[in-house]
Amino acid sequence: MPPLRLLLPAIPFAALSIAVPLVNRVEPRILGLPFVLAWISAWVALTPAFLWVLGRLEKRW
Amino acid sequence: MVSSSPAVSLAIVAAVVLATIVFALLGVHRIKMNPRQFIVGGRSFGTLFLWVLLAGEIYTSFTFLGAAGWAYGLGAPAYYILAYGTCAYIIGYFLLPAVWRAGKEHDLLTGPDFFTAFYGSKTLTVAIAVCQFVLVVPYVTLQLSALQILLQMAGYGRYDATASVAVAFILIALFVLTAGLRGTAWASIIKDILVIGAVLFAGVAIPMRFFGSPAAMLDRFVRLHPQMLALVPGTSAHGTIWFVTTVLLTATGFFMGPQSMIATYSGKSEAALRRNAVLLPLYQLILLLMIFAGFSALLIAPGLHGTQVDRSFLTVVARYYPSWVLGLIAGAGALAALVPASGLLLAAASVFVKNVLGDAFGVTASDAARTPATRVAVIVVALLALGLWLAVPRTIVELLLIYYNGITQFAPGVFAALVWRRADAWSVGAGLLAGFAVAIPLTYANIEPWGINAGFAALLINAAVVVVVSLLRPSGSSDATRSSPGNRPAYRRAD
Repeated sequence: MPPLRLLLPAIPFAALSIAVPLVNRVEPRILGLPFVLAWISAWVALTPAFLWVLGRLEKRW
Repeated sequence: MVSSSPAVSLAIVAAVVLATIVFALLGVHRIKMNPRQFIVGGRSFGTLFLWVLLAGEIYTSFTFLGAAGWAYGLGAPAYYILAYGTCAYIIGYFLLPAVWRAGKEHDLLTGPDFFTAFYGSKTLTVAIAVCQFVLVVPYVTLQLSALQILLQMAGYGRYDATASVAVAFILIALFVLTAGLRGTAWASIIKDILVIGAVLFAGVAIPMRFFGSPAAMLDRFVRLHPQMLALVPGTSAHGTIWFVTTVLLTATGFFMGPQSMIATYSGKSEAALRRNAVLLPLYQLILLLMIFAGFSALLIAPGLHGTQVDRSFLTVVARYYPSWVLGLIAGAGALAALVPASGLLLAAASVFVKNVLGDAFGVTASDAARTPATRVAVIVVALLALGLWLAVPRTIVELLLIYYNGITQFAPGVFAALVWRRADAWSVGAGLLAGFAVAIPLTYANIEPWGINAGFAALLINAAVVVVVSLLRPSGSSDATRSSPGNRPAYRRAD
């Protein structure tokens, strides 16, 4: 299991790049958004949280 | 249809641009200019001011027109715009503080200076300076093409905008040679506020007026164009492989431009940079609204093709909204072209004066000579970009591709400098040559091998060459100054 300090940035990065072909569907739609667009938007919104936790872990703030 | 008055909308655009310039000049009028102040704002920008500057430079007219245009013309491939910026900020969380630290320790001013600090080769620095200079000019030209679209649309297509583009652009060049990077940051404040307003209007108000809500617009879109809402699987043009490789390429190249390096150096502290990497994805979310704007435009005003798709959502505004609304939206768009252009002019001019004139020919080496020389160079770069724009008409996307495919080739050298001490000037130089040798013909012929983004293919070959050449060279050759203990890379200077 890689350390959390690697996973925290790697998860959103992978979700927004190599994982996109795996979720490339219109249905089910979420809040009206096609699934793939909802997936991307959700990860964009979550990324600050992942990076903030990483900063806490590294004692940056 | 509403009555349309080009005089009203164009007057508003002019007022917005002039008011922004005056505001920014007031913001800097007490600052005494030396090269550090002029080019990197005295390395004093805190988190918020830096956020405004970065957002101001990153979210250009391409984001403004291109995101809606891609959603209108292609559909799902436009989603890449949301993804790549966010991936870039994740890289930036690690990269930006490291670049800033090098900038602070070695008093770096330009993008190529970074390579001098780590690789100590004047030849490499000058070669990189020339390449970066050549690549920034089409990026400025892109802003001019966008500005032309905006001014033509604001004038309801009734006049040729070429002359007004030239006037606005020369105005912004004069502005940046007066106010420097701090001026660009002040201008970014107004630009960001207006662009956010315009984006909310485009992505929320337009769908509400025509469909009841953005969700209702999407319902309608799913019924009419379901095939546009997901990517084509596999290796076809703008398919899933293209998506992944393009996100990886553009995320890697995101902070490689000399204008990004300058903005990074301008931060007050590592923490200010790191906080920005955490916060900037939130700004990225508003681009979702530009995708809504493009989808709405396709439902309301179908029938635009080719490069015309860049005009999609402005066409809706021009047809169905009063002239003052069009004026404000086009004004926001004009700032989204002019403010980043000012940062690009400054970056290209400082690269030319410091790294080409200074490092290669030994002139303008003193601080006292450098500020006036950089000011003259701003005008020279502006005229060059204007000339290229008049001589070779190209679409916005073509220009962006040229820029990204080229600028990303500097990434292996930047990353190796920070994490892999074996790389030296020879291996980085060889990688760059290989990268350009692949990128230039593929970009020129518009070939994407197996659906892979051409610049990404070049980047992989570039990185492979850097690794192989580094390993082939005897390990002692990267001299003793780099093998100091500790986990931070050892810096060395050119002279």
